[in-house]
Amino acid sequence: MASSQTASTAGPLLQPGRRWWSGDGSGSDRLLSALGLLSFVALWWFGSLTSDFVPPIGEVLDAVPSFLTEEDIYADIADSLTRVVVSLAVAVFVGFWAAYLMARRGFWGLVVARYVDLAIGLPSTIAALLALFIFKRSEIGVFVVVVIACFPFVAITLRQGFLSLDRRLSEMSGVYRFGGISQIRNVTIPHLVPFTLASIRNEYAHAWRVVVIAELFAVNSGIGWRFTQAYDRFLLVDVALWLLVFIVLLLGTEYMILRPLERWVLRWRGGAQ
Amino acid sequence: MNAASTPAAGFDIDVGPVRKALAFLAAIVLGVIAWQIATWISDGWIPGIGEIIDATRDSLLAADTWEQIWITSKRILIAFVVSTAIGVAIGFASGLNRKAEAFFRPLIVIALATPDPLYVIIAILVLGTEESSGVIALTLALIPFVVTIVHGSVKARESQLDEMSAVYRLSRRRYLGQVLARQVTPALFAAARTSFAFAWKIVVLVEAISQPRGIGSEIYEQFRLLNAAEMIALALIFIVLMRLVDAIVFGGLERRLLAWAR
Amino acid sequence: MSPYIEVEGLKVSYDGEHLALDGVDMDVTENELVAVLGPSGCGKSTMLQVLSGLLRPIAGTARIDGKDMTRSSSDRPRVGYVFQDHRLLPWRTVAGNLELVLEAAGIPKAEWDVRIDRYLDILQIGQFRDAWPMRLSGGQRQRVSIARALAIDPAVVLMDEPFSTLDEVTARTMRQQLVELWQESSRTIVFVTHSIREAIFLADRVVILTKGPARLLEDVEVPIGRPRRYEDADITELESQIVDRVMGVWGYEEPAAA
Repeated sequence: MASSQTASTAGPLLQPGRRWWSGDGSGSDRLLSALGLLSFVALWWFGSLTSDFVPPIGEVLDAVPSFLTEEDIYADIADSLTRVVVSLAVAVFVGFWAAYLMARRGFWGLVVARYVDLAIGLPSTIAALLALFIFKRSEIGVFVVVVIACFPFVAITLRQGFLSLDRRLSEMSGVYRFGGISQIRNVTIPHLVPFTLASIRNEYAHAWRVVVIAELFAVNSGIGWRFTQAYDRFLLVDVALWLLVFIVLLLGTEYMILRPLERWVLRWRGGAQ
Repeated sequence: MNAASTPAAGFDIDVGPVRKALAFLAAIVLGVIAWQIATWISDGWIPGIGEIIDATRDSLLAADTWEQIWITSKRILIAFVVSTAIGVAIGFASGLNRKAEAFFRPLIVIALATPDPLYVIIAILVLGTEESSGVIALTLALIPFVVTIVHGSVKARESQLDEMSAVYRLSRRRYLGQVLARQVTPALFAAARTSFAFAWKIVVLVEAISQPRGIGSEIYEQFRLLNAAEMIALALIFIVLMRLVDAIVFGGLERRLLAWAR
Repeated sequence: MSPYIEVEGLKVSYDGEHLALDGVDMDVTENELVAVLGPSGCGKSTMLQVLSGLLRPIAGTARIDGKDMTRSSSDRPRVGYVFQDHRLLPWRTVAGNLELVLEAAGIPKAEWDVRIDRYLDILQIGQFRDAWPMRLSGGQRQRVSIARALAIDPAVVLMDEPFSTLDEVTARTMRQQLVELWQESSRTIVFVTHSIREAIFLADRVVILTKGPARLLEDVEVPIGRPRRYEDADITELESQIVDRVMGVWGYEEPAAA
């Protein structure tokens, strides 16, 4: 058992003869990551050379300041952000109850499982077109599409949570007798929190992608809509700018808000896992 | 949560097939009812089940439908094979080698944060509206997912067998093939299956946007013509077909792979 | 005669900060069976890892038959290693597992079958030659693991608490078999354990380590004649002597005499 501490993780001291598992760490890593980033930039630069249509990086970067001072971009950013957050919340809610029913293995759980299955297998594009058709250009369409896309994954993850909760409860109930509310507070919720957070983390990026697709087709606002506008009008610098906005927004919120939040919640709950 | 009565793991294996079939039926019946209500509420704007069934039958019989499906399937196949191959290679490399991991990480992170339509747009901008740009866009969009799965499993492998291989000085070839590959086989399978699943879903988007022929563009076309029933019919046919392929090919493979089950 | 296994001033660290071994010395003559004894987590496995070339120390030497085991060179002697968990590849048959290490050790293919049969028979698992490891019991798997270690004709056999996961009856049988094996085939064995009695039963000498960061505490000869029985009074006495000596050092306080 002590031997599992070895080779793969530690520093330059632990070099078995062959180096085919993780080598040394530290400073060179950052350099290589920077290189990786640079290769992305290089690709872009190469693309702008070979094609008349790819805007050169310089041009795009120059356009950033004036872009950021345009007021109406923030309305669309806010729209997309709201849709992501609200849809995700609804998806978690729906997914939670779907998971609960499925974990109970009752008849309705099986029926719900079929719908979960259906929702997973529905391409977002088709859902978006349908939503556009049904809801015309109402914002509801976007919410529906994103919820349908995301709730099944939440349901699957939380179902695992419920199933493993069952096991714990039946093991414990013989020994300690927790009453109803106390049980929910002290056992059920802490147990489900990590699963919920995991599903939120996983589905956050997914929700963003689906929102863009939905906005591409179904509404006249938001980042997805901006993409179509820019692309249709051949405003290629704008396409690049909105792409940057999207990536920065997604990665920024994920690393600076979502992950710290997750860590904070888990710490407060005593790392229930 | 019936703590006492539910058995441990096992998913739906312990539920009788009759019950499952009944649930399936109930789901369909409920769905149909809900849909008909929607049709009624929307005054026929949303096509009724009858219309959809008719449209489905017509589409199934039309040769053009199958031609479109064939075109789309070829794209899916190419994108699936290439993205899985490249993704596995990168995933292995970055899972085994810290340097490779450091290098690829920013690329993969950005790729995962890029919305799907952008792959199509970029491909068109660089390659023009040729046949190949759609497939290339699709392939590129799939690679990060495969990489993530393979990389995760390679890194999560237990060090025990690595140590055994080191002590007995297995050659690199033997280690990779006999020890590592087998260990990550379930993840490789999952990566391939995921790649296929995303491929047929994203191809619809690719075709709807870039509109050369194919089921996706056909669906979009029907939508523009406001032929909702036809659109739904085509979507149904395509989805059912793809899921059948998944169940038969990957389901079958999975059973085979579990043959040496511990 | 220079020692067959020579460990001098060995210092090992996992993370560059904390030492697992803090200057350990140990000598083993050829064909000796030496037990390495220490409390859990003291790093006794670490020494085996250095000797097998898995780990590189920060300081000190580890040699087998005069060759430096910490450098990866191709003329390092072969080492057989029996882990605490069997570490067999579940997707290869028993014979397949042995073939894998035979190939890696450079043994010509023509000899493989002979060796496989021979060592499986010695360990009384010949009938499992083509079985899948996970269909065997824990004891049988450890036997395969031992057979694998022996089949390559190693210079030394390193064993890291190989019987600690087995039930007592199986473990007793295995200990007995190990001693017989060792006597018949004259190999040098280093056997790591945390059980004092096991160490005394098996070994010519017991090397006792301190708690981590570990150093050599004592080197105890086991003057008891073979064959030994696990319940021998001699063993019990030596055991309680050792227990007295290590209790304080390993950190267990005796309750004050009433």
